[in-house]
Amino acid sequence: MSEGRYYFRFNLYHRILHGMVIVSFLGLAVTGLPLKYAQTGWGLGLSHALGGPFTAGYLHRFFAIITFSYFALHLGYVARLIILRRPGIFWGPDSMVPQPHDLVQLGQHVRYFVGLGPRPRFGRWAYWEKFDYWAVFWGVSIIGASGLLLWFPTFFALYLPGWIFNVAIIVHSDEALLAVGFIFTIHFFNCHLRPEKLPMDPVIFTGRLEEEEFRHEHPAEYDRLRAEGRLESRRADPPPRWLRNFSLVVGLSSLAVGLVLIWLIIATAIR
Amino acid sequence: MARLLTGLGALLLLGSAVLPAGSAEAQPKTAEPKPSSQDCLACHGDKDLKRGAPKPGRRDSLFADEAVLKASAHAPLECVACHRTATAPHDTPLPPVQCAGCHDKVRAELTGGVHAKASGQAGAPACASCHGTHDVRRAAAMTIEGCASCHARQVDVYRGSVHGRSRQRGDGEAATCSSCHGAAHGVLAKSDPRSSTYHLNLPRTCAQCHADPALAKRHNIPIANVYQLYMDSIHGRAVTKSGLLVAANCSDCHGSHEIRPHADPASRINHANVPATCGACHAGILAQYAESVHGKAVAKGVATAPVCTDCHSAHQIRRVEGAPWQLDVIRECGSCHKESLRTYRDTFHGKVTVLGLARVAKCADCHGAHTVRAVDDPASSVAGANLVATCAKCHPGATARFAEFRPHADPSSKAKFPILYYSYVLMTTLLIGTFAFFGLHSLLWLPRSLVERLRRRRGGEGTQP
Repeated sequence: MSEGRYYFRFNLYHRILHGMVIVSFLGLAVTGLPLKYAQTGWGLGLSHALGGPFTAGYLHRFFAIITFSYFALHLGYVARLIILRRPGIFWGPDSMVPQPHDLVQLGQHVRYFVGLGPRPRFGRWAYWEKFDYWAVFWGVSIIGASGLLLWFPTFFALYLPGWIFNVAIIVHSDEALLAVGFIFTIHFFNCHLRPEKLPMDPVIFTGRLEEEEFRHEHPAEYDRLRAEGRLESRRADPPPRWLRNFSLVVGLSSLAVGLVLIWLIIATAIR
Repeated sequence: MARLLTGLGALLLLGSAVLPAGSAEAQPKTAEPKPSSQDCLACHGDKDLKRGAPKPGRRDSLFADEAVLKASAHAPLECVACHRTATAPHDTPLPPVQCAGCHDKVRAELTGGVHAKASGQAGAPACASCHGTHDVRRAAAMTIEGCASCHARQVDVYRGSVHGRSRQRGDGEAATCSSCHGAAHGVLAKSDPRSSTYHLNLPRTCAQCHADPALAKRHNIPIANVYQLYMDSIHGRAVTKSGLLVAANCSDCHGSHEIRPHADPASRINHANVPATCGACHAGILAQYAESVHGKAVAKGVATAPVCTDCHSAHQIRRVEGAPWQLDVIRECGSCHKESLRTYRDTFHGKVTVLGLARVAKCADCHGAHTVRAVDDPASSVAGANLVATCAKCHPGATARFAEFRPHADPSSKAKFPILYYSYVLMTTLLIGTFAFFGLHSLLWLPRSLVERLRRRRGGEGTQP
């Protein structure tokens, strides 16, 4: 095997948390969509397959707990970086915070799409990757909060008026549709299904990028690390065979589940 | 022993004498020859011939109309075939005719039947009560008039029933007395467990005709499989499996002699009469229902207001504790309350019931079932102060604020639900906006990414820094 040089993009903590995102997101989608689409044949069938609405509801809450867990773990991770006074959390090339150059690169990228310019030289986080990150942040907050309201209505009614549950039903359902629709189409395309990546990009499982891929996808970061002499500190051993197989099995299975669900949703919408 | 032998000998003698019965020459040891019918009519052909002394319960005239005799089933018989001891002339009145002398089998059929039992009593039917005397007809030619001579009230009611009217129209398939009660000679009292009209046996008796879908089709009866439905219902199982005399059989709802089609205002199963019919057993429910918005509307003559059978069905009545019925009845409420059902289906309660969970609030859990009242009625379970208690049935600790939840909210109504409307608009805008932007983004990227992949494959490693 002609092995190129590998560099780390995601550490183990990142990868475990994304694993929790995959498991809980697919779990919530599979157990939640039958309720939203209760009036369709596939909604009823899927609900029965899960053991009925009572069991599906139970599992939905279980996956919600995983979601709240990774959300808390991530907040803890960011808090740790802040306490350690790690630079560049809220601004700079390593930060997830949207910055003016993201807008510039969006414009450049669109020009590149239509053949009016070169590919923008993306840094560690391209603008669509930042959008993905904040979409999860926003989604977990909104869907999580409305879900908690509906989970413990009598408790929240001590402090909130009852019509908030009507709002929660709409928000939980529509925001979930947005999240599911976005992840299973846009995120899948951007990160896995666009022709350069097809059938999938295993980096989120292996954590490692080949040098060629690194220079193609994140040229600005590559150059910066090299200029700062930090490139070697990111060097990684090639991903072991078991990890590559694991990535393929888990990644392609998750893609398949997502694509089946989005196909059902679209088929229902256009029927 | 000697006495026994003599007895046997006498029996044998008697037997040989009786065997060629019915013929005049077999009469034992009478000196005079048997009179012919002409001999009898010499006197009895006189219209004015009367008894010497009146006899209570018997008519005075001793006239026998030859024309009637000749038209009867007994036309070939001589008078002495029945009036066996008659001589011509005779001074003493003749003993009553014993029909069983010839119709021996009938005696066996009658034994144990209610008509035979009654025969021993005063005023009970003898053969002649139904068959007549000289005008005796073949069984096939007999009509319900024969039954009417004693059972006048029942036959009169029957004539107004769907069966009676069909018969009058010439429908030979419609039930008549014997269709349900069986042949007249062996007929049993309704209270006799062997009777075809006994409470537990009646469904099978009606099923002789009403289990046949072809018959239902021929007679425009809308429910063809009524017997099968009934047998599977809570009433059918109670009657046939549990043997309960208190469970409704066919006649408890439809009546027996008075069965009328449901469109007939006098029918017990007419829309307006259904509550009273069911209430004959379910008295407590009827009292609640009569006070409900549905019950009051039906009493006022509103034809669309639901009666018992609209929710419970007529022949398929199921246990109300079961989830299948509880979930189906939601749809039944929605068949009139369409808008309420639509908005209900938008909520968790409404969706999860579609999936088969009956534990959550269904229509009747909040509004009441038989006690249902209009929402603007202060006594309604969802009105004002009652609402919190209603919510608290499932949500212990529910407060007035909790009860501000709108179980029938409509986010598409800007006027009635502005907050929900704008929440909905906001969410939809976000949804459409996100997908429009990134959809276009991906569509533009796709061909470019394809080109990139092809170029990298062709150019090998290291073409693009």
